[in-house]
Amino acid sequence: MEDVPELRTDPRNTWDDGDRAVPPDSWGRDTAPGLSLPWGFALVVVLLVVGRSVLTPHLTSPALQTWATIFVAICVQALPFLVFGVALSAAITAFVPASFWTRALPGHPVAAVPVAGMAGAVLPGCECASVPVASGLMARGVTPAAALAFLLASPAVNPVVLVATAVAFPGQPMMVASRFGASLAVAVLAGWLWLRFGRSEWLRIPARPHGDGPGWARFGEAMRHDLLHAGGFLIFGGLAAATLNVMVPREWLTSVAGVPAVAVLTMALLAVLLSICSEADAFVAASMTAFSPTAKLAFLVVGPMVDLKLIALQTGTFGRAFAVRFVPLTFVLAVLVSSLVGGLVL
Amino acid sequence: MNRVTQNLVLTLLGCAVLRISAFSTIYLNYVRPGFRPFLIAAGAVLVVLGVAGLFRSIRPGRFSPAEPHAREDGHGHSHDGPRVAWLMCLPVFAVFLVAPPPLGSFAAARSDTPPPRGHAVGSFAPLTGDGPVDMPIGEFIGRAWDDDKKSLTGRQVRLTGFVTPSKKPGQWYVTRMRIACCAADAFPLKVVVRGIKAPPVDTWVEVTGTWIPRTFGTMPNGVVYPELSGTSLMAVETPDEPYD
Repeated sequence: MEDVPELRTDPRNTWDDGDRAVPPDSWGRDTAPGLSLPWGFALVVVLLVVGRSVLTPHLTSPALQTWATIFVAICVQALPFLVFGVALSAAITAFVPASFWTRALPGHPVAAVPVAGMAGAVLPGCECASVPVASGLMARGVTPAAALAFLLASPAVNPVVLVATAVAFPGQPMMVASRFGASLAVAVLAGWLWLRFGRSEWLRIPARPHGDGPGWARFGEAMRHDLLHAGGFLIFGGLAAATLNVMVPREWLTSVAGVPAVAVLTMALLAVLLSICSEADAFVAASMTAFSPTAKLAFLVVGPMVDLKLIALQTGTFGRAFAVRFVPLTFVLAVLVSSLVGGLVL
Repeated sequence: MNRVTQNLVLTLLGCAVLRISAFSTIYLNYVRPGFRPFLIAAGAVLVVLGVAGLFRSIRPGRFSPAEPHAREDGHGHSHDGPRVAWLMCLPVFAVFLVAPPPLGSFAAARSDTPPPRGHAVGSFAPLTGDGPVDMPIGEFIGRAWDDDKKSLTGRQVRLTGFVTPSKKPGQWYVTRMRIACCAADAFPLKVVVRGIKAPPVDTWVEVTGTWIPRTFGTMPNGVVYPELSGTSLMAVETPDEPYD
């Protein structure tokens, strides 16, 4: 049990969370490998082998297959970004000393928030990568508000996403500029609001395995830990998004497109439900020709910040108490700012 | 979920990703062709992590002093690693049991085609050679709507796609889905085929014919599809790259 004092002295962790305060009995006891046979996994393998011959011939309904295609597509598409984000996050924990962040970011949290938001522009990825990276930053002592600004900004303002937006909206550079400006504004505002009103007990800063082995061992341990936590939630989000993608008919959308306020809200909700990767959402928004530019902008601003798989990922990474406050906050801010920017510029 | 199981699940998922990307072209049913290297890298990382973790947890001699810290607990989930990680088996089940095919007529019927985009009018190269020209359906639609030189006029073209039904009698659609990133953002590109009896829905076909020039001056409201007067039809295998 020599690890408990070390964990308890970690000043960034609040230990008032009941089920974390007491280390479980299994700590410090090495069960013999023979006693912990992976029965569950054996069941999974049996199901796969038996199901392949018994179930597969019956799983041919077009609705089920379409659902399965979209579900697998969302997972397959997000997985490399998740792995990349998790690797970057693990590298931050294992190789970058904590003192680096105190030097790199302005000392005052109010100033650190916009700097962290701008820093999001250098992470070329989508939203699945940003959640583990933000959690790695927090674990390394970066002010949560600044890490959250980074979390919100990076999927929307990085060069890959901006180029994709420019390609999807040819001849409309203002759409790219509005997306950049509105997303950054929402990220910074959300960061500042969290700084002012947020409470530390709402946010569960993920504890990292703090092994003192060689860097690579710690790197692998942190990656495995993050993948197991974030991966399951990502799949859960993919399940929900695929189900809604197949069930929500697109026709009724055109009927609400004419009413400005309703159109903006509809597109914002659609961005949440469809959970399309931020590198692809511009093409989808561009194809929704019935909607006003402001409504499309709302789709592009909300999507990378709030969607089903992100909500699942954030709940898994930062805890439910965080998600129930942060998700509505971001959603409302994103809708307001994009309506404002869209009204003024587009 | 104990440590052995955690690593087994990671390995299983990694193997499934490698199975569809490195060792086959199944991944093309879900994402763009350019995505392959990223998938292979992600799958390889998962397998390496899983296998390395298995070695560390199976061979007690290699337990490092840091190992107790690394137990997957103390995070408000459960004592033996997060139960939600079991969900990572689901895509494996989907891939191996359902073997999801490329999106077909069910998906095509769900979304409307966006009207042709007004990009680069007249930027199409003239069609050279003689005999039928093989052409992606997207290019056919572009030439039909946006080519001011009307390069399709009188030319035999060959389009490859799957069959979707039409409500109007005497016609059907040869359809190809277009994806921007993954199958979740797919939308259908359709060309009306006249003059040939409709094959069964969802069959992949090569249809040869000539363009029927549009008869209206300006684009009418609603979705309109370019039309092809079909002369011959051949059933084909589902292409490796099912999306346009």
